Amino acid sequence: MSPSPSPDSPPIISDNAENHLQPFFVLHKAIPKKRERKQPTPAKTRRKIDLSPASSKSVESRDEEGDDHRYEQLRIEAFDLIWSKIEAAIKDVLRRINTDLFSDVHRWVAESFNAIKSSTTFNISDVKRPYPMETDKISKQLFTAFILTRNVEFVDDLLTFGELSAHLKSHDFHVANLSSADFNVKNGVGGCLRSLLRQLIMVTVDTADIAILAAWYSEAENYDIPIVVIIDDTERCNGTILAEFIIMLSEWVVKIPFILVMGVATTVDAPQKLLRSKALQHLQTCLFTLGSPLEKMDAIIEGVLVKSNFGFYFGYKVAVFLRNYFLRHDGTITSFIRALKIACVKHFAMEPLSFLGKGIFDEDSQGFWNDKCSLLSEAMLNYAFDLPSCKREILSERTSDILAQGLSKLERLQKNWSSVVMCLYEAGKFHKIQLLDIFCEVLDPDFLELRASDYISGEGKNFAKTSSTNDRLLDGENFTLKKGTFTAQAVHKIRDLPMASLFQLLKIWEKHTEKMAEINHKVKELQLALKVEDDVKSLKRKDPGVQGMSMSRSRLNVVKRSAANDEAALLAQNMVRDYLTPVECTAFHEVVCFKNADILQSALIGDPRRTIQVDLLQSHTYLHCSCCCKGGNGLLPSMHDTSIMYNLAQEHGDLINLHDWYQSFKQTLSSNTKSKHKKQQSPVSKKKKATHVPAGIDEASIQARFCRAVTELQITGLLRMPSKRRPDYVQRIAFGL
Amino acid sequence: MDPKDGDDDEFGFSRNYFLAKEIGGSVKKSSHKLSDINLVDEEELREATAGIASKHEKEMASLLNSYKNLYSKWLLELRCGFSLLMYGFGSKKALLEDFASTALTEFSVVVINGYLQPINIKHAVIAIADVLWDQLKEKRRTPNKIQQPFNSQSMEDLLSFLDGPHAKESDCFIYVVVHNIDGPGLRDSESQQYLARIASCSQVRLVVSIDHVNAPLLWDKKMVHTQFKWCWYHVPTYAPYKVEGVFFPLILANSGTAQSAKTAIIVLQSLTPNAQSLFKVIAEYQIANSDEEGLPMNKLYMMCRERFLVSSQVTLNSHLTEFKDHELVKTRRSADGQDCFYIPLASEALEKLLQELG
Repeated sequence: MSPSPSPDSPPIISDNAENHLQPFFVLHKAIPKKRERKQPTPAKTRRKIDLSPASSKSVESRDEEGDDHRYEQLRIEAFDLIWSKIEAAIKDVLRRINTDLFSDVHRWVAESFNAIKSSTTFNISDVKRPYPMETDKISKQLFTAFILTRNVEFVDDLLTFGELSAHLKSHDFHVANLSSADFNVKNGVGGCLRSLLRQLIMVTVDTADIAILAAWYSEAENYDIPIVVIIDDTERCNGTILAEFIIMLSEWVVKIPFILVMGVATTVDAPQKLLRSKALQHLQTCLFTLGSPLEKMDAIIEGVLVKSNFGFYFGYKVAVFLRNYFLRHDGTITSFIRALKIACVKHFAMEPLSFLGKGIFDEDSQGFWNDKCSLLSEAMLNYAFDLPSCKREILSERTSDILAQGLSKLERLQKNWSSVVMCLYEAGKFHKIQLLDIFCEVLDPDFLELRASDYISGEGKNFAKTSSTNDRLLDGENFTLKKGTFTAQAVHKIRDLPMASLFQLLKIWEKHTEKMAEINHKVKELQLALKVEDDVKSLKRKDPGVQGMSMSRSRLNVVKRSAANDEAALLAQNMVRDYLTPVECTAFHEVVCFKNADILQSALIGDPRRTIQVDLLQSHTYLHCSCCCKGGNGLLPSMHDTSIMYNLAQEHGDLINLHDWYQSFKQTLSSNTKSKHKKQQSPVSKKKKATHVPAGIDEASIQARFCRAVTELQITGLLRMPSKRRPDYVQRIAFGL
Repeated sequence: MDPKDGDDDEFGFSRNYFLAKEIGGSVKKSSHKLSDINLVDEEELREATAGIASKHEKEMASLLNSYKNLYSKWLLELRCGFSLLMYGFGSKKALLEDFASTALTEFSVVVINGYLQPINIKHAVIAIADVLWDQLKEKRRTPNKIQQPFNSQSMEDLLSFLDGPHAKESDCFIYVVVHNIDGPGLRDSESQQYLARIASCSQVRLVVSIDHVNAPLLWDKKMVHTQFKWCWYHVPTYAPYKVEGVFFPLILANSGTAQSAKTAIIVLQSLTPNAQSLFKVIAEYQIANSDEEGLPMNKLYMMCRERFLVSSQVTLNSHLTEFKDHELVKTRRSADGQDCFYIPLASEALEKLLQELG
């Protein structure tokens, strides 16, 4: 993809001094020549990879380079496909969450429009009249929907409001989206109007006038359709401008049927605080509520990461990082999606075989893998079998078939895993357990190891049937499901479920386990047993002869219920034991699984405040020079000037006396390696020592270096320059990392 | 990302702050003056600054070279819709431009120098739009209607042109390199909003660098997650901030009295001889009566009239206003409540100034 730069040549530094002082310039224009090169057909790929290894060395190396390029191309294609699917799935999930709300809003808009029409004598010729008609107060009412987003992070709802707008547009309404940026003091109400005109009429005007909108509305094709104005982040708007805007719309509402939809992130009374009563009295409000971010998150996890198979999975560490990032760091779905995408890009950029993940979408995925794996070069195959996950398992052969089978197995296991996770989640719902938590927990590779050891120490596969182990399992403690884990809680909850809920749960389980014949069969059996039990009970209830024995019957009932619940709990445990294999415990999982949480974190959250300081304090660790490492923690004159200065600055309080700082800098520069500079020395004592400067270090050059280092620290924002009040001091900004 | 870690971090951070404050408070503040250093002449200092020999050139070059291996990754990430954000100590100007001129040759690249003071974002957007227009024209995928010149278009139109569905193919991007997106020329929120909108345009990809430790505070979550879509890279280069620091004053250069006397002379020389003489009157008075608050208005008027420098109070006032505007003269109130004029310079500097003024 990129013209591979030779590693030895120093970077080309454009020496165009003029360009440095231009606010902007065109560095170079596109060279439209490599278009042919950009079409590596699959056939070509195949031919090249097929090349026999008998060719000469130079051809080989050239070929390897070509191979690299083609593999990269394949990975990019795979990324495009997989990410587009994931993205579509996310959008779909979010849309589905809001479907009900959207149709409610749609219905409300239609009703409001009818109300406007019925309250005024709506006439197309009236619209054209230059001034609004004199009307009574009632007809100045503006129908307004407050959509409570239940999320202070408005960024998550931008998409929702975009979707809402699309939804309403699909029903042939006129829709315009405004945001807080349109309601600023600088542009005044004209700014909002201009934006409105831009979106509805597609014109840009210098002097915004609502009469233009009226003229447009009176055209036959636009007439008799409500105009919905959506403001997504009401709280961030300027209250005065918004109030003016509302008053303006309300005056025209008899002619142009405006309907407002406002997103409210905080509380219902936020608009009351924001707007003047004069504007408020024109609003006729209706409330709608969106789902909370956690609900959305669970829906995304369910729809994208658990239920669907996209050929791209997370490792445990990544999942935990994402969970913590969502819960503690950022809290927005948008950032989660961005993190997901970065993880995906990183995976496809780093993992040479990641393109094989695409096979999941192939109708005959086994065939796809057989096909692709047989085309892999020797080096790639070796790479695949050298993966750590393969080393764990003893594989008899190193053939492409084994790799293909491994991938198929992985897919199969993953499907079962998904089903079991969903079953657990359904059970956990009664305990209000978030899917996010279960998801992270069951990805833990130790989760399996614990269970495996326990499993081996148990009495073989049939141990569940013996009564002693049965009791042990029901105890819920000795089994792998450590008390307190979400999985354990979910399973535990099953035992306390009332009959109706259990029945409902089993019904859902039946659906989730459709592709797991054995489990599905057991679920059905359980359902049947439960039904029989239920029938018996209702029969008993009908039988008047049993009336007198109500006490014993109720006890019986309790016992019976717990038996059925235990059966279900046991089944859940068996499912966990047999099918909940974390992806990281399967062979070849590296091909489709992204595990490097550190890389993800560094790409997602840069931490300039800390990192730039570390750069300065430990410059030699990055520069890898031989001269500065010797000094240990001491400062050496060979170190980077700014680095020395920043290290020296650490000894000062929040204010640094420039004179002292300069003297200690000078002293460090003039000290040689033998008389090591000691950090503990106070700046004052250093100054005394530095009274004579050894020859060879020019005073002017030291001052110049001092100046430059101060400037560089100023650029990094770690220093504040002397104020008029304190001309001899600079101020430190950062304290500690 | 352990929660405890986070708390510890925060605790440590605040503790460090108070510790530093304490050091500042308990240890008697050093009373050394900057003027105690035997400061060299400014010109000499500037000369020396230009000739600073750099340390670790070899190591810095190999560090820079080591980033070349990342170019293909960067390109991939750009292609996938992310913007690249480079941070870490050292000027990243050479790195970014090297990346642009080796890995992005197939695309047009526009560079914005954020470290400069006056940057008109709109002009930059017009330049980007022009480049895109040329590129589309070459590929004969221009819309049929004749494009009006970009200069007369509004920012909204320009942005919607950049965001247009011109080409689904990836080869129709404009790459915009912004050096110091946190620089003084781009630090205001309006510029950042526009940059965010540029970044979210379908035809534009952004590669930027930051140097300020608090740069992320420039952006809200909407900008970060939906518009810029940063992919961070820590790429310290330790290269000197030669161009970036060019407009920063040298800390040891402008603090001396020489500096302000020099600027005063430059201003005075551009004024009329009468105004210069008026300034001399105040200066001479100040040297002669250094213990006084300054020259009171009525006395000044009298003295100036005697020397035929001004004919009326109005002319005097206009001169004084000019002086005040250039901070050549300031007023303060004397003990008896009169407004007195004085020159905010030390006596010796003032004498030197008078000599030079002739």
